[in-house]
Amino acid sequence: MSDLDRQIEQLKKCEPLKESEVKALCLKAMEILVEESNVQRVDAPVTICGDIHGQFYDMKELFKVGGDCPKTNYLFLGDFVDRGFYSVETFLLLLALKVRYPDRITLIRGNHESRQITQVYGFYDECLRKYGSVNVWRYCTEIFDYLSLSALIENKIFSVHGGLSPAISTLDQIRTIDRKQEVPHDGAMCDLLWSDPEDIVDGWGLSPRGAGFLFGGSVVTSFNHTNNIDYICRAHQLVMEGYKWMFNNQIVTVWSAPNYCYRCGNVAAILELDENLNKQFRVFDAAPQESRGTPAKKPAPDYFL
Amino acid sequence: MEVEVDEKDLKSAGAELLKDGRRGLRIHGWEIESRKRSILNSSALQQWEQNLHTSHFPEMIFGDSCLVLKHLRSGTKIHFNAFDALAGWKREGLPPVEVPAAAKWKFRSKPFQQVILDYDYTFTTPYCGSETVELDSDKDGSGVISGGSSGLHWEDCKEQIDMAALTLRDPILFYDEVVLYEDELADNGVSLLTVKVRVMPSSWFLLLRFWLRVDGVLMRLRDTRMHCVFDESANPVILRERCWREGTFQALSAKGYPTDSASYSDPSVISQRLPVIMHQTQKLIIPGNL
Repeated sequence: MSDLDRQIEQLKKCEPLKESEVKALCLKAMEILVEESNVQRVDAPVTICGDIHGQFYDMKELFKVGGDCPKTNYLFLGDFVDRGFYSVETFLLLLALKVRYPDRITLIRGNHESRQITQVYGFYDECLRKYGSVNVWRYCTEIFDYLSLSALIENKIFSVHGGLSPAISTLDQIRTIDRKQEVPHDGAMCDLLWSDPEDIVDGWGLSPRGAGFLFGGSVVTSFNHTNNIDYICRAHQLVMEGYKWMFNNQIVTVWSAPNYCYRCGNVAAILELDENLNKQFRVFDAAPQESRGTPAKKPAPDYFL
Repeated sequence: MEVEVDEKDLKSAGAELLKDGRRGLRIHGWEIESRKRSILNSSALQQWEQNLHTSHFPEMIFGDSCLVLKHLRSGTKIHFNAFDALAGWKREGLPPVEVPAAAKWKFRSKPFQQVILDYDYTFTTPYCGSETVELDSDKDGSGVISGGSSGLHWEDCKEQIDMAALTLRDPILFYDEVVLYEDELADNGVSLLTVKVRVMPSSWFLLLRFWLRVDGVLMRLRDTRMHCVFDESANPVILRERCWREGTFQALSAKGYPTDSASYSDPSVISQRLPVIMHQTQKLIIPGNL
């Protein structure tokens, strides 16, 4: 058994790797990812997965439902880390699979694959807690900069973490972005990772936060027509039912973190496409409590004031 | 969040746990119950859109979760739920708060046909609980008199909640925390409305807390505390203290406090750093006869 296979087995048990192993794994991953296009080509059949957010044991449920990699070809739409308890193990397992089976798993970047966001929402603290230093966080965030921004399945299904950008009308425009950087606060790359479809606008909307685009049905129609694609598949937003179509089936949101933040009670979904691009959503629940590593602790009564 | 309770403590306090899978207890004429459910699904959300006349909602609405404290003899019910809280948000209708990145966005070329949304995406609410009077004889609910006409009246008062008494480590017979709604502000911070309750042999105490942090901009903390000491008088009294705090990251920085968001994850730890902008103490005398 090679070192890598052994590491994959270890990560599947939710045991993190040594710091030196993470460093070596990231170097190998970088060599593979640097060759990928901003619009990475993906062949069908493929299974598309949305946000995971460090919910390692729920991702194991996902693999139970969808099948193991490399037998199943996977496309993950980003947001591997933050919020859940096991961002380190989740991301490293996906990355180790990527290095072991580069043609059977595609990882694209979500808005949480960023230095700034991970410092607020958990991944940074988790690395510090588990390794006693921020080196692993540094190695991983360097890899984040190499992750592709989108994928194109059989030239017919465009996949991205967030959504569209007013600065982008063709896939070629995405191909020209220099992606090897921290996610910027504005511009096309930011929009692809951050924007949301919105029912109440038809064209473009600006979020009340003053930053962040919303896009309506006519924007999607025009993008799909221009690029000759059937529909857009994206993640980024929690959907109670695991997936949600909008604008007459021109865009679908896929969400793969069941019982999000361990309390929402939502189901999750993955989208399976066969070789003819026939769709099947597979809906699944969170891992049962007893299969998780640590039992749920009953919190002590809180003498809050 | 359920806590193992000592049977002996319950018994000596004259309390009994609710049965049939319900969480809560009966004690000194009160029935206190928490209900924790999943977030609303799409079809329930559509119903809320119609009822509240808005299509903007927090990402996670625990619409079927609640905390209910019912005084059995009078039928007075103090309760906490997301719907009433969001109705309060809608009424208050604060202007939106711009995030730091907005400054840069002003210089972006605007797409054709741009609509600027201007609702309060922070879901800031003045909500401090709901009250109704429910007459037990009407099992079908027709005896429910809603808040305004319930005859219940919170009056301003000088008395304050006895915090010293609440620091005593009396046994906690029932404890729970119920999230009513939560939004991650698209990773620009947090907006969270929760209610915590603890019931001791001599009183019940609760904290309803709205907590908002818009990263790099501001924090808001709107607390409502209620305390009711058990006594056998005909008219129990509930004391209610509302305290609103608000501060900008800029003001915190001027005072020498850190301004990274990670330092502000727990509102209980940092609340003292935020200036009080509203404080009010009121009491509700529960009517003996209706």
